[in-house]
Amino acid sequence: MLKYTISLLVFIVSFSGYSQTKDSITNKSPYGLRLGIDISKPIMGMLDSNSSGIEFVADYRISKKWFIAGEFGTQEERTVEDYTTSTSNGSFFKIGFNYNAYQNWLDMNNEIFVGMRYATSIFDQTLDSYRINTGSDYFTSNTIASTSTSTGLNAHWTEFVMGIKVEAYKNLFLGFSFSYKIMLNLEHPDNFQTLYVPGFNRVFDTETGFGFNYTISYTIPFVNK
Amino acid sequence: MNKNILYILLFAFVFSACEKDDICLLPTTPKLILRFYDTADPTEFKSVERLSVWAKEKDTLSSYISVTLDSIVIPLNPNTSQTIYNLKRNIVDGNDTTNEYNQLTINYTTEEIFVSRSCGFKTIYNNVTIVSDTGWIQSFTPTTLTTIDNETKAHVKIYH
Repeated sequence: MLKYTISLLVFIVSFSGYSQTKDSITNKSPYGLRLGIDISKPIMGMLDSNSSGIEFVADYRISKKWFIAGEFGTQEERTVEDYTTSTSNGSFFKIGFNYNAYQNWLDMNNEIFVGMRYATSIFDQTLDSYRINTGSDYFTSNTIASTSTSTGLNAHWTEFVMGIKVEAYKNLFLGFSFSYKIMLNLEHPDNFQTLYVPGFNRVFDTETGFGFNYTISYTIPFVNK
Repeated sequence: MNKNILYILLFAFVFSACEKDDICLLPTTPKLILRFYDTADPTEFKSVERLSVWAKEKDTLSSYISVTLDSIVIPLNPNTSQTIYNLKRNIVDGNDTTNEYNQLTINYTTEEIFVSRSCGFKTIYNNVTIVSDTGWIQSFTPTTLTTIDNETKAHVKIYH
């Protein structure tokens, strides 16, 4: 009886030991297509009547650390300056990669990532109204309504992205990312300037831009590796 | 992990806060620059004594109320194609009875040119013609200008 008990204990110990070893070696994580939406754009649209847009995000895991990533969406933005009011309206598409620099514990799937994108936008820019800058207050000018629209303007740029993604529930991720954008090529309307590009946001004097998004995304797992 | 999130959020807000409030530093709508010379010696500047300048039906320009200067910089009206200026001088004693007047009529076409985000559009003046009535101004040159698009030097020499 004692012999059997000892044998059983050895068996259990060895089994439990085996299973522990197996757990620590193969933490399976899902590989698949992750689709999401930027929740900051609808919120900004509600808070700011000059802004409305939508952005979808997607990434596909190709290895332990690397993801192919992209964003696409549309944006309409009214830019109010001292002497001009103009509207940009169009769509954008971005494609690139993310590298997850975060070392996960066990079977966690969180990310602190850096990435790059190539991005392009096609948009219309309308000069809604303007006022001549007379450079003096002796003769002032009135605001002049305008409907001068330039259609099919094109912009290309690169983005450097950094951000985080946290798995809040199984396969459901909350994310935040920040991007720094450098314009490669930008078309301007005749006798005016592109002040805002969908996806690029405000075009600064140095033809650089900033952006951020807050995303909710869901992984459709294809395989667990 | 929480610490990292905080750092990244902080980083993002720092950047969103540094969106600079642009100030227009580029030249905008040019003004007409008049320089006064001596009729007797056309290479010499000659100041106008007790000079006051105002556009027709407007108040006197605040920087030119009974001043003694050899050049003036005056704005043109970008909303119309004509600006009429009155130039009053007094070379005697400053009493109303000894005031001398001269009227300059400036005709032009306007062209609107975009400058920058913060400066907006400026007007430049093309096909400028200047006509003087008979007053204290003896002569001036040129009487026509192709364009006034900058303020780098005097546009018109006025002899008196």
